[in-house]
Amino acid sequence: MRMSPTIDNSKLALALRGLVKRFGGVEALSGATLEVERGTVHGLIGQNGAGKSTLIKILAGLYQPDEGSVEINGVHHDRLTAHEVEKLGIHFIHQDRLLVPSFTVGESLFLGREPRLAGLPFLDRRAMRKQAEDILDKYFSLRLPPNVLISELTTAQKQIVQITRALLDKPSILVFDEPTAALVRREADILFDLIRRLRADGITIIYISHYLNEIEALCDRATILRNGKDVATVDSRTTPAAKIASLMVARDIDEMFPKVAATIGKPVLTTKALGKAGKFRNVSFEVRQGEIVGLTGLLGSGAKDLVRVLFGLEAADIGEITIEGEKGRPRSPVAAVARRLALVPEDRRGDGVALGLSVAENTTLASLKRFTTFGFLQRDQEYSEVDRLIEQLAIKTDGRFAPVRTLSGGNQQKVALAKWLSRQSSLYILDEPTVGVDIGSKVEIYNLIGKLAERGAAILVLSSDLPELIGITDRILVLYRGAVTREFKSSNTTPDEVLAEATGAHVSRHGEHSHVG
Amino acid sequence: MSVVTSPSQRRFTVRDARELVLRYAVIIALAGVFAFFSLATSTFLTSANLASILVNNFTLLAIVAIAMTFAVSAGGIDLSVGTAVDFASFSFVSLVLTGYPVGLAAIAAIGSGALVGLINALLIAGAGITPFLATLGTLFIGRSAQQLLTNGGNPVYLPQTGVPPLFSFIGHGHVLGIPVPLVIVGLLILAASTLLFRTRFGRVVLAIGVQQSVARYSGLRVPGHIGLVYVISGIIAALAGIILTSTVSVYIPNSGGAFMLNAIGATFIGTTLSRESRPNVPGTVLGVLLLSIVANGLLLTGLSFYWQQVGTGLLIFIVLAASFLNRRGRSD
Repeated sequence: MRMSPTIDNSKLALALRGLVKRFGGVEALSGATLEVERGTVHGLIGQNGAGKSTLIKILAGLYQPDEGSVEINGVHHDRLTAHEVEKLGIHFIHQDRLLVPSFTVGESLFLGREPRLAGLPFLDRRAMRKQAEDILDKYFSLRLPPNVLISELTTAQKQIVQITRALLDKPSILVFDEPTAALVRREADILFDLIRRLRADGITIIYISHYLNEIEALCDRATILRNGKDVATVDSRTTPAAKIASLMVARDIDEMFPKVAATIGKPVLTTKALGKAGKFRNVSFEVRQGEIVGLTGLLGSGAKDLVRVLFGLEAADIGEITIEGEKGRPRSPVAAVARRLALVPEDRRGDGVALGLSVAENTTLASLKRFTTFGFLQRDQEYSEVDRLIEQLAIKTDGRFAPVRTLSGGNQQKVALAKWLSRQSSLYILDEPTVGVDIGSKVEIYNLIGKLAERGAAILVLSSDLPELIGITDRILVLYRGAVTREFKSSNTTPDEVLAEATGAHVSRHGEHSHVG
Repeated sequence: MSVVTSPSQRRFTVRDARELVLRYAVIIALAGVFAFFSLATSTFLTSANLASILVNNFTLLAIVAIAMTFAVSAGGIDLSVGTAVDFASFSFVSLVLTGYPVGLAAIAAIGSGALVGLINALLIAGAGITPFLATLGTLFIGRSAQQLLTNGGNPVYLPQTGVPPLFSFIGHGHVLGIPVPLVIVGLLILAASTLLFRTRFGRVVLAIGVQQSVARYSGLRVPGHIGLVYVISGIIAALAGIILTSTVSVYIPNSGGAFMLNAIGATFIGTTLSRESRPNVPGTVLGVLLLSIVANGLLLTGLSFYWQQVGTGLLIFIVLAASFLNRRGRSD
């Protein structure tokens, strides 16, 4: 399905055709094509696991495709290396690309390619400062003093440093990989503005996102990936967002999200007028046994803070939390876990699983008391529980003693869940439970969540993947600027509707924001 | 030659051999230095000398290194182990000198070690100061405090006569023909490895050491366990202070600091024995044994004191380098 006429070959900055990439038995890309016209902003959208990151890693020279061709500015490239890609003027702006926190802005900008005084082994500090200031001034109307430390910058400012670093190389193609994921709205608007000016300067932009409104506002054309294939390339200025959304998610929803109807029981978690200054206010909701409640909101909406408060990682200022009939806000994760709360945090590798511990050690970490008599660990009991969970969750591991580091993202996430199954928790808070998880494991995790609900657990899912959220939950609470603005019944809503609520489109209708398209 | 080989055919490759050598670097080094000194000197391989290694070189360092192993297991470090040794030693000598029973003095000595640990615990688990800086602070303050207590660093001697027999029994006595210090070390090794390896406490400490935030997110009492680890470290180090004092019948201010660097060295040498590079008591003990043999052997070769230090340093470097290479090889 091609919705726009094929582009004249000579105008193409980039053509990736028929890419196939397999990892073991899993096909991450099965014949994906991406053609990008020079001097345009080209959106690349698709759900998590659609193949976006694999495609981009091939373009970055990090993966070699099993099949397919790569053409850059009309030149065919057989085995691209990361170094060649940089030489071709293709640069990547990642949301989480590492900048060294203890470096200054100036050092970060020129790391590895410091201008030198002609013929001398000394750094040309004057030239460094001049070049950096020119770019910062031109594109950002910003004076970022070169001697400020990276660790002192906000996420948006760090991104500016990355973009500036790329611009110093006079790039021909810039790839933005989910650039707004960690930005607040105002910062995102600045970024969009910048991208438009880069386009005006003739730079080709590839913009990866799963936010449809961004694609609509920013891109000239967009390619939609689904299940490792490009299902369509559309003119995003004229194609309705609903059409794009349906292209993104048009798979067997029932198969993807096997929702089981569970019996709804007593309330497990109830909050009343919960508030935390500057984060959220007047949040009241409940989650009952057997119920799967979704929670969504953009960054800065307060959804993350709410989860941290529920799990005792941060203190609320005001309001009431009742867990299994017992009043009192958990003062620490220790208290939360004692009250049978479970949190699968978003930062899986940082907070969810200990990479250096084995599958067994991770699995029983929150429930060691079960396997302890007089302070001594009862290994037999521990290991039989671990083996049971490895089997139940189909965790692919080289045995219970394998370090979790050696597992795939999906299996690591299953271990993070197994930890709470072993704890026999009654309320599971799942923060972005399927980020970075392959499609196969995703469906397994959805199944598992459904089974937990069936067995009477209460589940609160925080996710920005709206089709997922709609697919697995019973109802969805939307947080916008610290307040629950609306509740949707999941069986009766669409990703667009929820997104409109979360992005404050309902507000913009009344003119609070204006979004230049 | 066929290209496809079955797993059993390529059972042992050069790469496997390399990994084996790197993995068991400590044991190979132990065997190596043992053989070397046996051949290089006529006095090394005598039962008198081997016994002397255990009693004079091994005992005290092993105790202090085990104390260090606790702190390193929790992801920290205890630079003030020597301070705990010193304060235990000072309390022990002072109380015995004033006429208190030896048993009571020993308990007080252990209490002062625990107190040093408690200060670290409050700084690290309470105030959130990094272990390196907190224990460094304790080390400095402890040093000045000892000088204040001893009028600028004068040793406190016990008289040659009139000392309770139990006092010298700790340092010089035998149980079933085994020197008492060795018996104490043996029991300590058992207790410490059980505590770290077999108990819930040890598992929690391990989790904190490997990835503290995961321990926190799993509802474990992170500050409490970290605090306890430093108190335990102080208590164990105090044992070394008691044995040291009863062996030489004197408290010399700021003498415990000498153990600190070797204890760190032994602990990290010991981590090479673990597949996941975890601190572990058996590894630490082997590390101490290695350092003890080298110290003793180099002494016997007649090399100057400074060259002995260079030898020790080189050895630690080689073992740690082997471990690093091994880890890098595995992650490829």
